Amino acid sequence: MLLYFLRRAASAISVIFATLVASYALFLLAPTDPVGTICGPKCTPDRAADISAALHLEDPALQQIGVYLKGIVAGREYEIGGTVRECDAPCLGYSFALGRPVTELIADALPVTLSIVLGGAVVYFSVGVLVGTLAARHRGTTLDRVAVGSSLTINSVPYFIVVLLVALYATNVVLPAAQYTSLLENPLAWASGLLAAWITLGLTNAASYTRYSRASMIESLGQDYVRTARSKGISERRVVYRHGVRAGLTPVVTIVGLDIAYQLTNTLFTESIFGLPGLGRLTLNAFNTYDLPVLLGSVLVGSTVLVTMNLIIDILYTFLDPRVRLA
Amino acid sequence: MEPLIDDPALTGKPLSAEPGTVTKKSSSTQGKSLTQIAMARLRKDKTAMVCLSIVVFFVLIAVFAPLLAKLEGQDPTTYHMDLVDDYGFPTIGPNSEHWFGVEPRLGRDNFARWVYGARPSLIVAASATVISTLIGVVVGLVAGFARGWVDRMLSWVIDFTLSLPSLLFAIAVPAVAVSVIYGAQEGVSAEQTSDVRFYSLIFVLSFVGWANLARLIRGEVLSLREREFIQAARVLGVPTHKILFKELLPNLVAPIVVASSLALPTYIVTEAGLTVLGVGLSEPTPSWGLTISAATSYYREDPLYLWIPVLGITILVISLSLLGDAIRDAFDPRTRR
Repeated sequence: MLLYFLRRAASAISVIFATLVASYALFLLAPTDPVGTICGPKCTPDRAADISAALHLEDPALQQIGVYLKGIVAGREYEIGGTVRECDAPCLGYSFALGRPVTELIADALPVTLSIVLGGAVVYFSVGVLVGTLAARHRGTTLDRVAVGSSLTINSVPYFIVVLLVALYATNVVLPAAQYTSLLENPLAWASGLLAAWITLGLTNAASYTRYSRASMIESLGQDYVRTARSKGISERRVVYRHGVRAGLTPVVTIVGLDIAYQLTNTLFTESIFGLPGLGRLTLNAFNTYDLPVLLGSVLVGSTVLVTMNLIIDILYTFLDPRVRLA
Repeated sequence: MEPLIDDPALTGKPLSAEPGTVTKKSSSTQGKSLTQIAMARLRKDKTAMVCLSIVVFFVLIAVFAPLLAKLEGQDPTTYHMDLVDDYGFPTIGPNSEHWFGVEPRLGRDNFARWVYGARPSLIVAASATVISTLIGVVVGLVAGFARGWVDRMLSWVIDFTLSLPSLLFAIAVPAVAVSVIYGAQEGVSAEQTSDVRFYSLIFVLSFVGWANLARLIRGEVLSLREREFIQAARVLGVPTHKILFKELLPNLVAPIVVASSLALPTYIVTEAGLTVLGVGLSEPTPSWGLTISAATSYYREDPLYLWIPVLGITILVISLSLLGDAIRDAFDPRTRR
């Protein structure tokens, strides 16, 4: 058991490390002109020399990656225009365009992305499970057919089109304008500003959860213990929600975990169309200004999130399903 | 694969027959391959046929775009500044000369841009599907059939690719690609950038797409390689590449067709979405994504400008996804209608 965990963890770390090396090579070692790119059109030779020295671009490739790694573990300093900028422990680089360490930029953006994704997850999980359970209870009726049919269609509509149309036609009319206020600062403004994003993300994803939980509920409602519960004379409501839902939701919860990990790195459309300053928009702005350190940092953070969530789910699964341990 | 032949709906036997009698094979379906059975099922599926004709319609529009534009008498790049007022708004609506009206600001013909705009979406998505399917199938076959370090290495590469944040990666690659190919940022023309964007989009979509299929195929091969016909082929001394492509591949048609038909619409969505955000295709390529992106500033004054490409892409993607679902159902022996 312990060996399995260690092997999984080692493989996860190797994947993250490979992403680091590959993206570092892509951004700073490829036959491009990273200094010119980072420095921008109004580049002075002094500034270019500063950036080149700060990034250790003259050093051999391996040494550069070593410096970068050391920065992540122990922090490092950047010397720009004669002043020294501190870049604390998990130092993912320094954005010369924005004049701030990448870690800080990502730390600012992460709560926004987390708020969007988790709030959306609450919406799609509750709506999906509710509609799915209803459809499973009334299997074969018009209600079931409408639920399944509309979920298939909603699932097929391109997500960015939905976001775009909501942003253009619904915000400021039915929904409050999308904006981000910190939760600690003003919880009410936080919720109302993110409402549009939650509803869009939630309702589009609810479609697939309707189908998952419908299938899962149909299976669990067909079990013998449900028949036993019914024969004991328990009310139908209690049979469905106490006996059916509990067993039927376990597989659905796993999918939520995977979806959250995936969405944390894919809120690009939601954020940039609604104008919320999260991780996706940070990356997009970095693309537009060719801010390579920020691009590198966000790809790294994204892949770390994905790998870690996968690892956590795998480990949780070994507790839920003993058969996995053999693999 | 036997259960398919026992399917009462296909053998033409009454569905109400007793369970025991259904297992007898009827002579009319013997010798039908899995693909043929799926095709027969698909032809009976009304939704699938409607979706297929919509998809064919869009493909024809893309193929005959120059002809359609000529029929209208316009082309997608000519500016009609005389049809745009001082504030950039078009002075004409749809008429016999400009079937969908003209663009705000530059006055290019909307219909011509719309028919040409179907092209990049379909070309990018189709090439990405073909490339990722080829890579996915080959890697999956080799990883599943080989044992030891080859399998471990390929599986690790699959895991690695799956854990890349695909959209962030899709943004990062074109940024680097332009400077790798043309050097410094200055002096790169719009056409050159647009070409690089086009090819790097195909590259990115194929690169993040192959790993899913490879993992699926590997799993299938792991179980197939223990079957008697593979053992027999090995004993007979059939060379490995022949076992892979002549013995294993024909048994993998169903997962491959299903996976690629479900992947195609997601590529179209990703392409258009990235283009709308300004990180996909770029001007002067006529593309639905670019039109949508430009039209968002005029959505109130000129809704037609926004809605033509929005409807084009939505209808195309919905039809492709529903067709993909229908193909999956047709290949799935458990589906009963």
